[in-house]
Amino acid sequence: MRTSIKIFTAALLMLAGGCYPSDMGPSWPITETQKSFEQMDAAMRQQAPAVADAVTGERIVRARAEPHNWLTYYGAYDGQRFSSLGEINAGNVARLKPAWVFQAAPIGLVANPPSFSLEAAPIVVDGMMYLSGWDGYVWALNAATGEELWRYRHAIPLDLPLCCGNVNRGVAVARGKVFYSSPNGHLVALDGRTGKPVWTKIWLDPRAGESSTMAPLVVKNLVIVGSSGAEYGVRGHIDAFDVDTGQRLWRRYAVPKPGEPGSETWGKNDAWERGGGSAWITGSYDPELDLLYWGTSNPSPDFDGSVRPGDNLYTNSVLAMDPDDGKIRWHYQFTPHDVWDYSGVNENILFEAGGRRLLAHFDRNGYLFVLDRRTGQRVSVTQFGDRVTWGRIDPATGDVSDRREPTREGIEICPGPAGSKEWPHATYSRSTGLLYTPVIDACATYRTYPTEFKESLSYFGGDFKVDPSQVRGGGVKAYRPNGTLAWEWRYKFPIVASLLSTAGDVVFVGTPDGMFIALDARSGRQLWQFRTGTGIHSNPVTYSVAGKQYVAVPTGWGGWIKGFAPNMFGHERGSALFVFALP
Amino acid sequence: MPGRAKFAVAAGIFLILLASCEYGGLLRPSVLGQVDPEMAALLNELPNLDEPNEALIGRLFATGGASRVDVGSDGIMRDKIRVPKDEYLWYPAIIIMPRGGTLELDITNEDQRPHAIFAPSNGERQVLELPAATRGVVRVTLDQPGMYWFGCPVANHANRGMLGFVFVKGEVPPEARLDRPPQRQPGNRRPPRAHQH
Repeated sequence: MRTSIKIFTAALLMLAGGCYPSDMGPSWPITETQKSFEQMDAAMRQQAPAVADAVTGERIVRARAEPHNWLTYYGAYDGQRFSSLGEINAGNVARLKPAWVFQAAPIGLVANPPSFSLEAAPIVVDGMMYLSGWDGYVWALNAATGEELWRYRHAIPLDLPLCCGNVNRGVAVARGKVFYSSPNGHLVALDGRTGKPVWTKIWLDPRAGESSTMAPLVVKNLVIVGSSGAEYGVRGHIDAFDVDTGQRLWRRYAVPKPGEPGSETWGKNDAWERGGGSAWITGSYDPELDLLYWGTSNPSPDFDGSVRPGDNLYTNSVLAMDPDDGKIRWHYQFTPHDVWDYSGVNENILFEAGGRRLLAHFDRNGYLFVLDRRTGQRVSVTQFGDRVTWGRIDPATGDVSDRREPTREGIEICPGPAGSKEWPHATYSRSTGLLYTPVIDACATYRTYPTEFKESLSYFGGDFKVDPSQVRGGGVKAYRPNGTLAWEWRYKFPIVASLLSTAGDVVFVGTPDGMFIALDARSGRQLWQFRTGTGIHSNPVTYSVAGKQYVAVPTGWGGWIKGFAPNMFGHERGSALFVFALP
Repeated sequence: MPGRAKFAVAAGIFLILLASCEYGGLLRPSVLGQVDPEMAALLNELPNLDEPNEALIGRLFATGGASRVDVGSDGIMRDKIRVPKDEYLWYPAIIIMPRGGTLELDITNEDQRPHAIFAPSNGERQVLELPAATRGVVRVTLDQPGMYWFGCPVANHANRGMLGFVFVKGEVPPEARLDRPPQRQPGNRRPPRAHQH
């Protein structure tokens, strides 16, 4: 009897306790209403001048006629990162002072927390600046004062497959809209006046390992983007969308299917399905030839080439494409059958020399390639990396000999996976006629390890390690178009920020320890420096408002530090845009 | 009634109550098979997991729980969250959406202290303040699969337990997927779909 009472009581207790419905509770009236975070910022107008309305593809073609603006990612379609502004020059740059600072810090959790950093090239249109940041942010700022006029934030999942950093390299502006590709692969067209979405297209599949970091490029009526994710065994691609409607007009895969041109370079297996070749750096464009030049990254898996015999086209290449349909007119592969992660996405600078239309490309593999950009014909190949042991390229034939490949036991090879130069861009000065490149002097110990492919997991086929003893700093090198060295400036750390050259004969460079430095473009002599307090891994730009020249540099130490400056992994993080002017 | 019969009736009532209880289902072999004895023993060692100021991981396992949203005829996904008295906790702490879209959270603060929610949403973060003993609704848009966080920004409530997550299930649209045959998945799961352009 007593036993059954106990059991009965226990059952009642379980009903009262364990089965308490989860939604039971007081039923009160709804009295509280939501606000957006922006509504809680009384300092923000949430309205900007309609300067983006008048920007068109035709106007960007003539970007050099309006040097007060920075209309597109590289400043102009030619990829030169050169400005003809000269108010700030080698004679007075030493007097440069901060004009204003824009700060942005994470609130709450962000994807890949140690890696967030401002990497963008701010776009400047008639006194307005459009800047993108890590974790889904886009800001519209007054370019003369730094006042924030509107803000857009795309919700970014915490579990994105970000190989290397929670970063974004910028926006594009045209026809009243600001185009932004979010890390999770939404191409968003924002109203230039309000920052509200006009149209949105999902163009990537993060569940397959894809993500986005690059700045879109507007060409004619198209907004063009390239995918990230070659560390996850994706099949890289470049997509073009209609500027006004967001309709996708074409997609070009960098890795061909069986039977397509280039498929003969992949062996007779299914490696092409996960062959890599993403396209995560903005291309350049020649409007007269009507050719788009877009770089492609490493094949997958990165270090174990045994599963993908052959040259692996069109990875590690520049693709010259018809912008109207994405057809490949010609290609040039910088590193055939790459097993070092020498992603070939680096910028392609279009310039003229000796009466020829040329293309200059400083590749991660340590070589400067100069090509005829009408045909893709090789003009010259010059070693610019300090230590290059992965292979030797014959300048006459382009053939690679003496290849040193990763082994199961581990082997030192130079440069490391970040290359003799990572993505941060070189510049061509129309004033001096020189090409300037940032340089990393580092080697790595590479090791292969068989890796079974599983969608969304990293697919390296090995690993690498950069010991501090293998890093010897870096610097800036200036080359004549014929490949001869004009000057070199050395620094104690690798240089991983884009260079900016101006008609004032100044080259601006940022460093991992946060120094923003002006060099004499003709001699390499250091003229000025400012300590920003955190590392620089971004795209400085210059512009003017009401006749006053400004130099803007996004700061914040992050990105793929393990690859390009592992000895600086512990350096202070930050997130600010510094803007300088003469007093 | 003989003692044996009474025992049988009591046991029967017990089993009926157990079966009708939503936790009774947790005694299924398929669920029990997922219990990690070492983890269960570890949680048992930790004192007062249902009290404030204890480890977040314990609170999520022990009390926060997960919830599947209701999908309305208007397509809006809805769920209710309570903030129980004295616990610094979202209940449930994990909201599961079957696909991307609009999510509406109806939140009741049963606590005697003020709370608020920072909720992720495309375009802008949404904020709902919840003074003591109030109720409010926050509507957000999350249009892509993945894991998003929400939290209470008051004092350090988020790290004392008021940290929650929204899991958005589903896939990106067909035109956004890679043109290739289905690939092997982690854990040897079946590929989610076949897709070719």
